[in-house]
Amino acid sequence: MAPETKICAQHIDFFYGRTRALKDISLDIYANRVTALIGPSGCGKSTFIRLINRMNDLIPGTRVEGKIIMDGLDINHPRTDVVDLRRRVGMVFQKPNPFPKSIYENMSYGLRINGMKDRNFIEQRVVSALKKAALYDDVKDRLHESALMLSGGQQQRLCIARCLVVEPEVILFDEPCASLDPISTRKIEELILELKKDYTIVIVTHNMQQAARVSDYTAFMYMGELVEYDLTEKIFTVPKERMTEEYLSGKFG
Amino acid sequence: MGKRSFTTMTMFILLAVMTLTAHAVSAVAADRAIIVKGSTTVLPVIQVAAEIFMDKNPEANISVQGGGSGVGIASLLDKTTDIATSSRKIKPEEIEKAKASGINVNEIPIAIDGIAVIVHPVNTVKAMTRTQIREIYTGKITDWSQLGGRKGKIVVVTRDTSSGTFEAFEALALNKEKVRPDALSSASNQAVAQTVAQTPGAVGYVGHGYLTPRVKAVAVDGVQCTKQAIQSEKYPLSRYLYVYTNGRPSGDVQRFINFILSKEGQRLVEEEGFVDILK
Amino acid sequence: MSAMKIQRKALVTLKEGAYKWLFATLAFASLVFLVGIVFTLLTESLPVFSKIRPTSFLFGPFWYPTADPPEMGIWPLITASFAVTAGAMVVCVPIGVGTALFIHELAGRRQRAFLKPVIEILAGIPSIVYGFFGMVVVAPILQDLLGIPTGLCAFTASLVLGIMATPTVASLAEDALSFVPRSFREASLALGANRWQTLTRVVMPAAGSGISTAVILGMGRAVGETMTVLMVAGGAAMVPKSLFDPVRPMTSTIAAEMGEAVMGSLHYNALFAIGLMLFLITLGVNIIAEIISRRFRLKLGLGR
Repeated sequence: MAPETKICAQHIDFFYGRTRALKDISLDIYANRVTALIGPSGCGKSTFIRLINRMNDLIPGTRVEGKIIMDGLDINHPRTDVVDLRRRVGMVFQKPNPFPKSIYENMSYGLRINGMKDRNFIEQRVVSALKKAALYDDVKDRLHESALMLSGGQQQRLCIARCLVVEPEVILFDEPCASLDPISTRKIEELILELKKDYTIVIVTHNMQQAARVSDYTAFMYMGELVEYDLTEKIFTVPKERMTEEYLSGKFG
Repeated sequence: MGKRSFTTMTMFILLAVMTLTAHAVSAVAADRAIIVKGSTTVLPVIQVAAEIFMDKNPEANISVQGGGSGVGIASLLDKTTDIATSSRKIKPEEIEKAKASGINVNEIPIAIDGIAVIVHPVNTVKAMTRTQIREIYTGKITDWSQLGGRKGKIVVVTRDTSSGTFEAFEALALNKEKVRPDALSSASNQAVAQTVAQTPGAVGYVGHGYLTPRVKAVAVDGVQCTKQAIQSEKYPLSRYLYVYTNGRPSGDVQRFINFILSKEGQRLVEEEGFVDILK
Repeated sequence: MSAMKIQRKALVTLKEGAYKWLFATLAFASLVFLVGIVFTLLTESLPVFSKIRPTSFLFGPFWYPTADPPEMGIWPLITASFAVTAGAMVVCVPIGVGTALFIHELAGRRQRAFLKPVIEILAGIPSIVYGFFGMVVVAPILQDLLGIPTGLCAFTASLVLGIMATPTVASLAEDALSFVPRSFREASLALGANRWQTLTRVVMPAAGSGISTAVILGMGRAVGETMTVLMVAGGAAMVPKSLFDPVRPMTSTIAAEMGEAVMGSLHYNALFAIGLMLFLITLGVNIIAEIISRRFRLKLGLGR
């Protein structure tokens, strides 16, 4: 069964001032699949996923060329509603970043800023998102305690749950396990595999094994260029490019 | 690394040595300097006199400091000044203290100061009696209409209670009664003049030397505040300004005081707005 | 060869020891000063209380230190300090916090490059210049504008002090805002919040106690300020009935009278007792600020 394309990037160039950070990137991201972006530090993988929910808008002096289309929506079009886009495209960051508020307030934040006031509805959504993120049993008795009391792994799952509350279509993971121990990492990976049934997932990772474990597709980037993009099993077994092979065998990176 | 820290260490030591030397040098210089300390009223006269005296006597070194009459006299008592200047007569208890610490207070009048009672130039009141002044300052008279002026609240401006000018004013005009607590209080003669100049309803008092065209002095008990009136002791709010020394002065101290009392020195007194004591 | 090495090593150890002592001495010097100041304040002020009951010193309504017999009630001075400080807060908190928010959240790079130095210059102006400005410019304008008998009053003092304390509040509040990790902001924006929502619901609450610290330290600045109030507050030792009454705060009383008070006299000791009061007040203010800022750092997970 051929997967359905969710996001289509066409000839993306990205500039920090005069520095060209992304060079003519084109790739399709498929619905209900996990797409991993790998490559050495500074290769542009984080920059690329931050284009999908326009987080790079926050950095002054940047410029993007080319198009990213999601379900027919031109993401970079000036008239695109960024707030709505970010509701549809959730993001989980490198370091767990719960707000210094209670667990419940963290969870309900996304709904409240969208003007939701119905308490029962909010509670229902919060509980179901916590369950989806496999965190509900850990925190059900202390929903009103500070989120900063949770362990690092729990905090990261809370951040995942926090973006599930607003029911996004795509979830971007920017090295979500970079600051976690192996056990927490495994839990997050299991969660990602579980979530791909309902969501389209893009994950940036430093860890090649992680990419091999969780992703269906893998894109290898180097110095702002997309070197190779294919099914994960092909990339890891029969890479077409020599550079990919060298990176995967640890010759550089 | 080791070498650099050694250099830093050497620098520290050098710096310390230099500081010590500087102190030693200034101590030697201080041996020859005459210190004059005290009343801010007398300060401008002494300042100018000292400059001219030093021009004429290059070997002399005079350091002039303010601080107020009380400070000047206190410094004389603890021997940290050679000459104390004061806008009031030394108090009996100060003389006693001086005796206790073996100091023989020597009083020399050097000028006369008239205390001018001032109002805003637009004020129609031109004269007051001493009684009226007292009643304004103690709060019995509160409106200019009570003095025949245009209706309006009187804004009373006084000096801080420990200044020499206040003490003289208190003695000359207030009969030692207390100034109303809501009176504005300023830290200097200039500040009083400034406040009165910018406040149409204000009344204040300053040394004659601080009169400016921006304020108007009123007649007191029918006498205008002029040099002649002060000199002839007709103007009621006038006082002598003094310098005090420990015993009869000698050397440069004596020569400096003589210079102030000379014709040339008394001309300086006049130029600073005070009244000379040559009758 | 090896003997030389050992010698060198010994020299290095010696030098390191010497440094440690040098800097420890320098560090403890400030402690010595503090102890010295407290000791002086106590020994110089306590004689007052052998002549005047502490309650009538604190709550007495009249301050005639040189009258005969002297009356030494500092209640008018305490109320004046509080009135002027409270007034200054009303001025500097909205302006200072508003400035910090603007610089941090809304200003472009150029506006920021312009505003930050302006605030620093404002902070660097000597207080006597503020005092002179207040006395010669602000007071006459307010006097005409408001039709009050004199512009030298608590209101003017509050206004000028408020302007003076604004840079303190603004730059500390800005620090507090920049201490809020960028990740909070990103998390909020990534959830679809707009800038205003992010500011009011995430950044401000997270920076809240840091901003309170800024406000409290600004208050400390206002309470302790001397020269400005000496020149613009009017100097009347009377419990103010309105904002437009002249007042005589504690600091300006000390400044105006210390120079003329006879050393060792009751008046002299009373001025030290006022100093002791001021010291206790600012100490209290600083302790509160410290507690709040510690809570702030804990809240943001920055550690102590």
